[in-house]
Amino acid sequence: MNEFNENDIGTLLRLKRHEQPPPDYFDNFLHEFHRRQRAELLRQPLWRIALQRAQDFMLQLNVPTLTSYPAAATAVVVCAAVLSLKVYQTPESATAMPAVATVAVQQQAAPVAVSVASTVTDDDESWSLSTRDFGSTPFRSVSDGARTHRPAASPRYVLDSTPVSYEPSLRF
Amino acid sequence: MSRRYDSEAARRGLRHFSPAVVRLLLVLCLVVLASSVSAQQQSATEISREVKEIFARSSKAVVKIRGVDQHGKLAGTGFFIDPTGTLFTAFSVGADADNFTVEFDGKEFPARQLMSDRRSGVAMLKVDDITTPALPIGRSEELEVATPVITVGFPLDLPQTPSFGMVAGFDRKFLGRYFSTTHLRLNLPTQRGEAGAPLLNFKGEVVGILVSSVDNSSACYALPIAAAEKIRSDYVRFGEARHGWVGINVAPAAKSVEGSRAQFTEIMPGTPAAECGAKPGDILLEVGKTKVHEPEDVIDASFFITAGDTVPITVMRGEEKLTLTVEADFHPAAQRPPVIASPFLLGR
Repeated sequence: MNEFNENDIGTLLRLKRHEQPPPDYFDNFLHEFHRRQRAELLRQPLWRIALQRAQDFMLQLNVPTLTSYPAAATAVVVCAAVLSLKVYQTPESATAMPAVATVAVQQQAAPVAVSVASTVTDDDESWSLSTRDFGSTPFRSVSDGARTHRPAASPRYVLDSTPVSYEPSLRF
Repeated sequence: MSRRYDSEAARRGLRHFSPAVVRLLLVLCLVVLASSVSAQQQSATEISREVKEIFARSSKAVVKIRGVDQHGKLAGTGFFIDPTGTLFTAFSVGADADNFTVEFDGKEFPARQLMSDRRSGVAMLKVDDITTPALPIGRSEELEVATPVITVGFPLDLPQTPSFGMVAGFDRKFLGRYFSTTHLRLNLPTQRGEAGAPLLNFKGEVVGILVSSVDNSSACYALPIAAAEKIRSDYVRFGEARHGWVGINVAPAAKSVEGSRAQFTEIMPGTPAAECGAKPGDILLEVGKTKVHEPEDVIDASFFITAGDTVPITVMRGEEKLTLTVEADFHPAAQRPPVIASPFLLGR
């Protein structure tokens, strides 16, 4: 700016006073400006455009002001705790399932006919027959493998296959 | 041109949102996402926590019962219902055996049979001279289909075990025969040794007693605690269960009268019904205060009748509504063991 003195600037302004853009210049000004801006943007590689967009977004959200060492440390600790809990819980449930299934299989295969027989009396012949029938369903078949888990001296574990309160008709 | 205009407008619109609003929306989105992901896990954790709590609270009052019957040793489950050592268990555990012992607080205590009732499927035992925890009695009438329930029992020779399930139905009939009262069918896995285990609601109250398994033990039947309490009430009053009997056969009527389809088909001679003037063809409307709509309703209406009590029975005979008064007799299906001296009666 020091190259020009006041006289030079005055001369330049006098020359430029009569310079005017064509009549329709301002009609299309904004559109032309955006077109050139986009054209300029497209000259850059795509990754740079994306990076700039991301930076603009972060600046808009004011992220830098939100970050701090305590906040970052807390976030890391919380994430680690959540992940470790999930990792800890998964194997436990995975190992618990087969144990339950094993017990269920053993229980299904174990004999139950004796426990049913304990509830039958001589004066209830129909009851006796019906329970024997229920007890001989395929689910109750006795396998040698099932017997091995139950020593001969162990008690009979009771759970009937049908309720004892059974009546033939609607009378009261 | 118009597309350009739209995109410009959209940009301008976005700029109207302040950074604070955008930040808030972002945080809300994250919270919603996180909560939806963890909601299922949280509900499962909550159920697990409640089951654990109820198990911890109830386990001390649930005991393993051992006995000896004509077939040898047997083992089942029972639970204390009062602090004086009175136990409820299933009929199949506590009826035909003797030499009972109860495993409580890590020790074995001898127990004696107070009573057993085949018709309801329960038995009562007592451990003398000890103070015991007791489970609170709940209201089985409040149960609905899909109500979650828990049971605590002793399967096989394993330690105390909780099982979790839900009410699957209220059955009056199973494989062609009727129960003495409505039974609770539960989608709850059971194992041998758990007969007599308490069925608990999510308040930790007893709402039933496990009496049998169904099919391959993936489900089970429980007697509602209201029915068991009726038997206990009989025992306290008379020293035995006293199922009432009127002497009427009921079948579905051709058409509904006054909202009931329960028709008397047979009045048995020499029964209270014959003496009170009931006639075949009468439509049953009420037994006591219980309304009857279908023939199967007499199952529950009659179960709660006690022998010796006077029961009003309301019927429609033609166009006339009659109330017949019946003094109930002993039910023929009920086993009547010799009356055992009740400690409650002896104290009076």
